[in-house]
Amino acid sequence: MATDPDSKSNLGPLSRWTNRIITDQDARDRLYRVLFYAITIFFLVTTLFPFYWLLVLALTPNNEILSGGWDLPFLRPQGFNLAAFQEVFQQIPFHLYVLNSFILATMTTIIVLVIASLAGYVFGRLEFPGRGLLMLGILMISYFPPAAFLLPLFDAFVGNAIEVPFLGVELFTPPRLVNTPGAMVLPFSALFLPLSIFILTTFYAQIPDGLEDAARVEGTTRLGALFRVIIPLSAPGVATAAVLTFISVYNEYFFSSIMSLQNEPQEWSPLVGGILSYQTQYTTEFNLMAAAAVVGVLPVVILVIIAQEKIVSGLTAGALKE
Amino acid sequence: MANVTLEHVTKSYEDVVAVDDMNLDIRDGEFVCLVGPSGCGKSTTMETIAGLTKPTEGTIKIGDRDVTKLPPKDRGVAMVFQNIALFPHMDVYDNISFGLRLRDYDKEEIDRRVERASDIVQLEGMLDRMPEEMSGGQRQRVAIARAIVREPDVFLMDEPLANLDAKLRVHMRTELQRLHKQLDTTIIYVTHDQAEAMTMSDRIAVINGGELQQIDPPLTCYNEPTNRFVAGFIGSPSMNMVDCELTPDGLESDSFAVDLDPATLSGTGVGDHVALGIRPEDVYPVEKADELTASTAPIEVTTDVLEPMGDEIFVYLKLEGAPEDETMEGERSSNSLLMSVDPDSDIAEDDQISVVLDASKLHLFDGDSGDAIAHGIVDIGAAAADSAVAESEGGD
Repeated sequence: MATDPDSKSNLGPLSRWTNRIITDQDARDRLYRVLFYAITIFFLVTTLFPFYWLLVLALTPNNEILSGGWDLPFLRPQGFNLAAFQEVFQQIPFHLYVLNSFILATMTTIIVLVIASLAGYVFGRLEFPGRGLLMLGILMISYFPPAAFLLPLFDAFVGNAIEVPFLGVELFTPPRLVNTPGAMVLPFSALFLPLSIFILTTFYAQIPDGLEDAARVEGTTRLGALFRVIIPLSAPGVATAAVLTFISVYNEYFFSSIMSLQNEPQEWSPLVGGILSYQTQYTTEFNLMAAAAVVGVLPVVILVIIAQEKIVSGLTAGALKE
Repeated sequence: MANVTLEHVTKSYEDVVAVDDMNLDIRDGEFVCLVGPSGCGKSTTMETIAGLTKPTEGTIKIGDRDVTKLPPKDRGVAMVFQNIALFPHMDVYDNISFGLRLRDYDKEEIDRRVERASDIVQLEGMLDRMPEEMSGGQRQRVAIARAIVREPDVFLMDEPLANLDAKLRVHMRTELQRLHKQLDTTIIYVTHDQAEAMTMSDRIAVINGGELQQIDPPLTCYNEPTNRFVAGFIGSPSMNMVDCELTPDGLESDSFAVDLDPATLSGTGVGDHVALGIRPEDVYPVEKADELTASTAPIEVTTDVLEPMGDEIFVYLKLEGAPEDETMEGERSSNSLLMSVDPDSDIAEDDQISVVLDASKLHLFDGDSGDAIAHGIVDIGAAAADSAVAESEGGD
């Protein structure tokens, strides 16, 4: 009988295997190990393969890419054209595009962290009427598609007067911000603030009140307690908010391509603008675009590695004893 | 020069009054305990003194300065918190010197003071440790060092020992008293543990429901509580309370009577409900009645549960004729008495015995307001005591 646990011979191979997994601790451990590696390898492949493929494209001469003459095994560079990494900087001043993105990202990150820290303190640690509604309002901004803000912002940033809609009453004339960092950093900061505020609110709310009280009795103001105690103890949260903001701005193209009118590095055109410069009306140099992308990724990789160390050290040092 | 004065301090939240018209006058160098049950407003009172909470009304003075509107850092106070609140990202040295560094003391001065403070609390050689590497008692000592290193006018301690285990708590209690003797600074200490308050303080401020009930030296609070709440709160185990009615002959409860002349009591009259309070150590087996200067008539009781403590035995006594009733929080049911007897007494459970109450240690409280009416009713007269002895002899 199949229900009799002794007569295993009646069971099919799958049932027998399942039975063994359930009853045998060693078999179970082996299965978990296999599953762990399978899933890890799956994620590693899906995340790392694009980088590998960029490297393959960068090393393969462009005519090989265009002719499609890939011989087997398929997934390897057709040639070893390291010169592409040099050519990237010779054709256009690509380093300036990278620098632009880096500066824009750094400025935005600093602005976002300062404002989001103050807002996170207010939302996370103070009780006041309307807190929930206000928080919801801030989060709602992040639900809007950025494109919705594009037209009015562009209109303002090229220096047209701001008017009251339908009435034609002129309010003020903003400075002409296009082709300057201001035209990009301002909208980026506004768009990425809600997420950072949300992250930091959660982290700051978890710091025990006693620590802030202790800092204030010891001689800090509320602001001093925020910067000397709450922020250092929320290092993982601050690092997360900083990395997310930095990477988003570093990769940003939509706003900057429009606010930088000519796609010139002198006009604060960003990294992606630089990569797209290898594409002209008649030619597309895939190998250079791939090489530029690899070069462009490096600063962020370095940053994330540094930040990650900080995150890990923050997690181990911040064990709060209540 | 750092006396602390609270004048009409009230702190109310939307629908709760946490502190209600608190008036305290704490003298320079005094060790005062604010004591009361959870949620009585003692911590809120302390927070208003520290400046962490702004009072809704009233004035707070430290020394001669009105500090009501000053932020905590400008009040000259240091605080030790219940959850210790060491900064986990700093080592012991940085924790202790935190306040000094904020005030821009020079390096040598900071070193000197940190060394002295860590000396006082016996933390030598631990200055480079992180808080998480230390035991609870060590952490508490760091917190105290952090407070004393700034040489504040006033120490505020908010249940600093509550999170320590019992043995360490008793040890730290002694250390705090020694510290107070050494520093001679005003200490305001919040606790819900009346034993801590009794042993450490110069004066106890008993708080309930946001209102100050009594502020007096520990023994005054113990022997002459101003109301039923203080009587029940101070002392462990707490005072026996028996509901009585005042008759022309004296007090009458459901199970026993106490002779006394109602005319000797002011503020109450025949027919009023009163509560009779007697501490467990003032209840005696009837054989000891002749050792007392004044005692009540014998009361027939049945012993219930015995709690041997080693140095004494607590005996729960069931009063006869008293109904099962609801009890006030923190008090025993009024149909039973607790008696403390010598450990060598041959008393057993479920015995029928007679007990007497030491009349000089009786407390009377108003049945409605709970305010004290009288402490010690000595003029019961020798007759009652004599009759008690006679009856006990007759019973043998």
